[in-house]
Amino acid sequence: MNVLEIRNLTKKFGDFIAVDNMNLSVSEGEIFGFLGANGAGKSTTINMISSLLRITKGEIQVLGRNIVKENKFSKMNIGIVPQDLAIYEEMTAYENVSFFAGLYGLRGSLLKERTEEALEFVGLGDKHKALPKSFSGGMKRRLNIACAIAHHPKLIIMDEPTVGIDPQSRNYILNSVKKLNQMGCSVIYTSHYMEEVEDLCTRIAIVDHGKIIAEGTKEQLKSIITDTKETWIGVKNAERLDLDALKRTTGVNSVRLEEQTVKIVSKGEINNLNWVIQQLIRDQVEISSVEEQAPNLETVFLTLTGRNLRD
Amino acid sequence: MTNILWIARRLLHSTFRKRSSWIVYFGLPIAAVLLSMLIYGSSSGGSLHVGILNQDGEKTLTQDAIHFVEGLNNVKITMTDEASINKDIASGKLDSGLIFEEGFADSVQDGHPAHLRLVSAKGAEVTSYVKALLDGYLVNVAAIGQVTKNDADAFDAIFADYKNSSFKFDSESLKDTARFKDMTYQSIGFLLMFLLSSAVNMCGLILKEREDRTFLRLLSSPLSARGFVLANVLVTFIIQVLQIVITLLILKYAFGIDSGVPFGDLLGALLLFSLVAISLALLLTAFSKNSRGASALQTLIITPTCLLAGCFFPAEIMPDTVQKISSFLPQHWLLDTITKLQDGQAIGSLGLNLAILVAFAAVFTLVAIYRFSRNNDVRQFI
Repeated sequence: MNVLEIRNLTKKFGDFIAVDNMNLSVSEGEIFGFLGANGAGKSTTINMISSLLRITKGEIQVLGRNIVKENKFSKMNIGIVPQDLAIYEEMTAYENVSFFAGLYGLRGSLLKERTEEALEFVGLGDKHKALPKSFSGGMKRRLNIACAIAHHPKLIIMDEPTVGIDPQSRNYILNSVKKLNQMGCSVIYTSHYMEEVEDLCTRIAIVDHGKIIAEGTKEQLKSIITDTKETWIGVKNAERLDLDALKRTTGVNSVRLEEQTVKIVSKGEINNLNWVIQQLIRDQVEISSVEEQAPNLETVFLTLTGRNLRD
Repeated sequence: MTNILWIARRLLHSTFRKRSSWIVYFGLPIAAVLLSMLIYGSSSGGSLHVGILNQDGEKTLTQDAIHFVEGLNNVKITMTDEASINKDIASGKLDSGLIFEEGFADSVQDGHPAHLRLVSAKGAEVTSYVKALLDGYLVNVAAIGQVTKNDADAFDAIFADYKNSSFKFDSESLKDTARFKDMTYQSIGFLLMFLLSSAVNMCGLILKEREDRTFLRLLSSPLSARGFVLANVLVTFIIQVLQIVITLLILKYAFGIDSGVPFGDLLGALLLFSLVAISLALLLTAFSKNSRGASALQTLIITPTCLLAGCFFPAEIMPDTVQKISSFLPQHWLLDTITKLQDGQAIGSLGLNLAILVAFAAVFTLVAIYRFSRNNDVRQFI
């Protein structure tokens, strides 16, 4: 059964179409990656799933029920982890989780039990009396998650849950997502960190200009771009590099320089490495390494949308 | 409904966890009552300082008249001289001066009191009391003079009897209700400003939730936007009821000020105004993009309208044009209602005033609802 079903979903703001006739489904037990650059339409879609925005056209179903007609049912089964921290600084960690869980009808001993369980789950059990202002960024992010899971939702929507936190908290959160999934929750996960999506998600959709331009497993998405290959060349004096000349080299689709590495995407069927190296020699650039990269999600995204995820 | 109460509970808990809230919501209205008492309490009830200039020597009648004035309640006399009397009156050291000119005693004894002048820079407010009582005394003594007709021995005998006579004199203090009414008016005026401010502050929490992004989580829960606003309105109303009741109880029982209006009528009128305040606060919230904007609108609207409506001083002292403008302000209609109730009118006869207040609340609320419903942006959310 699909935990989420989106059919012909459209959202307009005046004349601007933010989401354009989108179709999507998330199965029970999936961790579904939702990728898109800023302004692609993913937050608008998430806000419509969460009933924060009215739908212009189309339909969203949660666990087979229309979210407009059975709004309370869908809200009861969704947990939102918003990108911006949504916690009360003047309330303790326990009070925060307990308050939000109370909005889902939990009271008394069940509320207490679920609040403690959620805090333990995110590793804040011993900090339940502390105010969030005394927390690190990572701890606040974890509290943000605890507030979304205490009512045991079937579908958890996580919008950039690891933004701006230390690696330790990030790992903790990623492991938490996996654990939640093992416990039976379906997750929709958006992130600017491609490696997180690649590590976590069973299926991924790439959104651009309000439309889903690709959807499938990691392998399915990577197979889309077998007609291209990526070569990384380490250089020592990158300032001498003539990027425009390199782009004009036979078979080269795109070139970008990241620190001391030149990343070149070329047509798969053309072996142009010699010409590329000759161009670098002409520029008197000192080469330190050459690596042929297997296609990854970053390449897929770049190829399909023409821009980096962080653009 | 349960979610509305759940939110209201949190709002109350968070609000009153801060000490500053207790000061803002309850301390300031009480301070306003104290201020009103200071303003109106100092305008009466003190002693009159009367300077006596005696140019008539040591004559018995003159000395007796001076003793009479000295014996009056709330009057303190100071013997002065011709050089000082005008200067002291002008500088305010003396409220008035009583000049017994040469020939005063003789004129009284002749039955035609003259050669007595009462001077003041403050007018009848400070002279009428002394003048009235002194007139009464002099009329009696002059009557003896008229009866004895230049017979000095007979005058002295009757005057001595008159002085030694014992009179039964009952005195009873009357409450100065006018002063209490003024104090009530002033206290209510300040309270209106605090009610408006506290309503905007509380409804401003809606904007604060928006800025803190907690509204995203709230509205993605089974709570509706309408429920969220209603919870804020409910909490604001509870706080306003407490503000009103505490202020009225302090006014009546702690400071002993009788408002001149039945408690229930006063409470009812103020609760109606509280609805106006909340609806205005919702309107400001609906038109503000953030809490800073709401705060700016609050400053721009509440203080000037309170000033125009007569919350800080009686509207009668303002020019006619300003008084006409104040008719467009809800504070004016509430203060007018209070004044009429103090004048003895029944609340049932003030239907127009109350209807106007209801109309203000209805219009503000409807415009706010319209404005909220036009928002189709998650950042504006309602």
